[in-house]
Amino acid sequence: MAFDLKVNGKTVSVDADPQTPLLWVLRDHLAMTGTKYGCGINQCGACTVTIDGQAARSCNIPAAQAVGKSIVTIEGLSPDRTHAVQRAWAELDVPQCGFCQSGQMMAAVGLLARNSKPSDADIDQAMNNLCRCGTYLKIRAAIRRAAELV
Amino acid sequence: MTKHQTDFAPSGGSTVELGRRTFLVSAAAMAGGLTVGILPAEQAAAALGSRNPGQQSTGAEFTGVVSIAPDNSVTIRTVKCEIGNGVHTGMAMIVTEELGCDWNLVRGEYMPPNRNLRENNLYSKTGGLAYFSGRSTGKEMMEQLLQIGASARERLRVAAATRWGVPVDQVKAENSTLTHAASGRKLTYGEVASDAAAIKLDAEPALKPKSEWTFLGKASRKRINMQHILDGSAVYGLDVQVPGMVYATVRHVPAHGGKLKSYNFDAIKAMPGVRAVVVVDPAEGGRGLPDRVTAPMGMSATTNGPQAAVAVIADHFWQAKVALDLLPVEWDAGDGAKWTTTQSIYTALGEAAKDTSRGNVLRAKGDVDDALKSGRRVEMEFMTPYQDHFLMEPLNGTALVTADRCDVWISTQHAQQAMYVAADETGLHPEKVHVHATYVGVGCGRRIYGDDVRTVVAIAKKMAGKPVKVIWTREETTRQGRYRDIAAAKITATLGDDGMPKAIDINQAASRPIGRNLTDTPYQFAIPNFRGRTKPFATNIMTGPFRGPVFVSNCFFLETFINNCAETAKLDAVEYRRRLLANFPDKGWIKTLDEVAQKANWGQSLPRGTAQGVAIGNWAMATTQDGAPVPFSGSTVATIVTVEVSRRGNVAIPRVDVAFDLGSIINPDAVRAQMEGGVIMALSSSLHEELNVANGAIVEGNLDGYRAMRQADPLMPQEIHVHFGGNSGHDRFSEAGEPPMGPPPPAFVHAYFRATGKWITRKPFMKYMG
Repeated sequence: MAFDLKVNGKTVSVDADPQTPLLWVLRDHLAMTGTKYGCGINQCGACTVTIDGQAARSCNIPAAQAVGKSIVTIEGLSPDRTHAVQRAWAELDVPQCGFCQSGQMMAAVGLLARNSKPSDADIDQAMNNLCRCGTYLKIRAAIRRAAELV
Repeated sequence: MTKHQTDFAPSGGSTVELGRRTFLVSAAAMAGGLTVGILPAEQAAAALGSRNPGQQSTGAEFTGVVSIAPDNSVTIRTVKCEIGNGVHTGMAMIVTEELGCDWNLVRGEYMPPNRNLRENNLYSKTGGLAYFSGRSTGKEMMEQLLQIGASARERLRVAAATRWGVPVDQVKAENSTLTHAASGRKLTYGEVASDAAAIKLDAEPALKPKSEWTFLGKASRKRINMQHILDGSAVYGLDVQVPGMVYATVRHVPAHGGKLKSYNFDAIKAMPGVRAVVVVDPAEGGRGLPDRVTAPMGMSATTNGPQAAVAVIADHFWQAKVALDLLPVEWDAGDGAKWTTTQSIYTALGEAAKDTSRGNVLRAKGDVDDALKSGRRVEMEFMTPYQDHFLMEPLNGTALVTADRCDVWISTQHAQQAMYVAADETGLHPEKVHVHATYVGVGCGRRIYGDDVRTVVAIAKKMAGKPVKVIWTREETTRQGRYRDIAAAKITATLGDDGMPKAIDINQAASRPIGRNLTDTPYQFAIPNFRGRTKPFATNIMTGPFRGPVFVSNCFFLETFINNCAETAKLDAVEYRRRLLANFPDKGWIKTLDEVAQKANWGQSLPRGTAQGVAIGNWAMATTQDGAPVPFSGSTVATIVTVEVSRRGNVAIPRVDVAFDLGSIINPDAVRAQMEGGVIMALSSSLHEELNVANGAIVEGNLDGYRAMRQADPLMPQEIHVHFGGNSGHDRFSEAGEPPMGPPPPAFVHAYFRATGKWITRKPFMKYMG
């Protein structure tokens, strides 16, 4: 069944079961693989995108629920890697393997959209994504830096 | 109800047609953008471009390792895959030191293992089957890369000198620019690269001495793949798109070593998108490698043999996953069923450790039994559980198998091993196997041996001519791990009148029975009677290398025990270690200990409920034939962990201090990142992580049952301070990734004891605290 999604400012047509999780529609049907599969049960946050500006874990949202809403993925965060979060991530050299970092950055975008000067406690509570390389302290510092750069 | 074959859904059996398509071969794209007859593999390569370091760009090649394009960009190909440890960046940095190129113009690619093989293993000087995995700074690899850089630089100078008609010694090569000072003429490396690449030098240039390095070990460099991580374009194995590919998801027998009894394809045949069910049967086996060809990491049933499995193949992953969840499957757990509970394993393991009637004596000096008869006695029993790597990127791979070629796209730590495993599974000569390694969503040892490669190829070969992407769900990735080895130890000591150990007797049992950082401890030079014994203990649960294998358990056992000796003797634990290390010639240990003690302000007065603990360890220390430690080898790390325990018993870690002696280093920030990440992974696994077993199968599958440290974890260290003052400057460049896995947990346990009076002797600590 075909339906339309609005992803990174463009309307795209998808031919899939509308109950397919948004994550797999993005990855397999739209070939947008920046959004990662990590756990599939709404825990690790690797699949985080923003929907109407709010961070959301796309593994747990049927694509049908995202119809008519504005979805932003890591690919659409900025045309040239200059979003404040991307600049902060680069400046602090946050990633190690990098696999979780799309989700980390999108979670940070969602946090900063509703709280422009988050405290460490705000950051910890809002993020809570898994990073097996253990970049948590750099992520915290990079979010503080991004808040300055916005 | 069938086995040993592939069931095709009526709508999905298009392999014949697709097989023919792949044989309509014409490698060249036609003018006007027509792409008739291009192999899926080549289409994929073009689409992935520079986002996947396994794909190859072109430029004037000096060797396969260095090419320079007319736009002055430098491509450095490395035989090791980027797993997050910065090896890709580190190896490019080493070449840059001698090449004298502008670092901002450097990009990285992988050396395909197939090319290495065809060119007679030229790029892996340490032997035909060299380690394609690991760090950037192994001595032989480093010398090779420096020489490659120096050689390319000299050829660029000769090319410029020839073009200008001036003596070579008047040409300076620096920052990707060749300069003739007298005439003020300049050329970029890119402008003479194709001339230079054709030049053969009469003699190889001598390398700069380390003291004259201007790049390595000076300023830190950010990872060269950063740009691709920032916008999500970095291609990991999970992200590979091969034209025409289908998706598979796989379920293995839950009890490792068991068998498939039956499945019922009819139950899911009509589901949307479902094409086939494929069986992986260990009894079928691989088709074997050619005579006298061996894989670098070997082949064995538990390291990379197939496990019994079924896979559902569908048009999309989600369809395959939904169908597999509904596929009726019956398994035979086999011998593993006897391990009914986790406790049944722990009981047997603990008994094995305590059994002094047998065991391999790894180290013995003095008369331990006699010395244990008198003096103040310290005795402890320890145990550590199975733990999963819990790699961020679940296991996956994509393969296209035809009659005379196999392509594999995979997140691997060892692309060369992957090539041999795929060759073994298909029966194709390794020269016909093309492994396109990708970025890796962390490795930690899990992706070295190639069991994942085996399963991917075993499934894809049954869909010959069709690219198949196989994805393990998170639950399957966790339950089909090759886990951290379980280990247990009983350690006994007697203390002399001075409070120092007179005798230490170590009895360990483990699924990988080695004495690293236990029986080879340099403390033994200050202990007159010392004995270390070990014995193997196995269940059906498979284990494998995991960031600091056995080192992590052994360091916890030994350091906790030494801290208990010091506390029993009422001596300062840092000073206690200084005395134990006084006779060891490698003073990097004491220097590291002193550095961390000073920077953490060890001995300071702390509020009630707050305490510091200390530990030290060495990863990859060499040993003599009779098991004694070799000084100036391996990576020494010392840690002080500060712990706060509230009146209600809540525990927090406000600060961790780390110092190290790796000898020398090339990229300080990369070392810092490994130390910080290692501290967090070490504490996560020690505080929280444990896999349980029921009837031979792993219980936990996902983060709802397996707790790994996340941003909001109350035990997340709030600060990690990495100190560089312990580094000795010794000529070795030892690794940074594994050593910080050892000392933080015993330092935590020590601090917890000093805050509460209670020793924790088993992991995960959270289960045994309070």
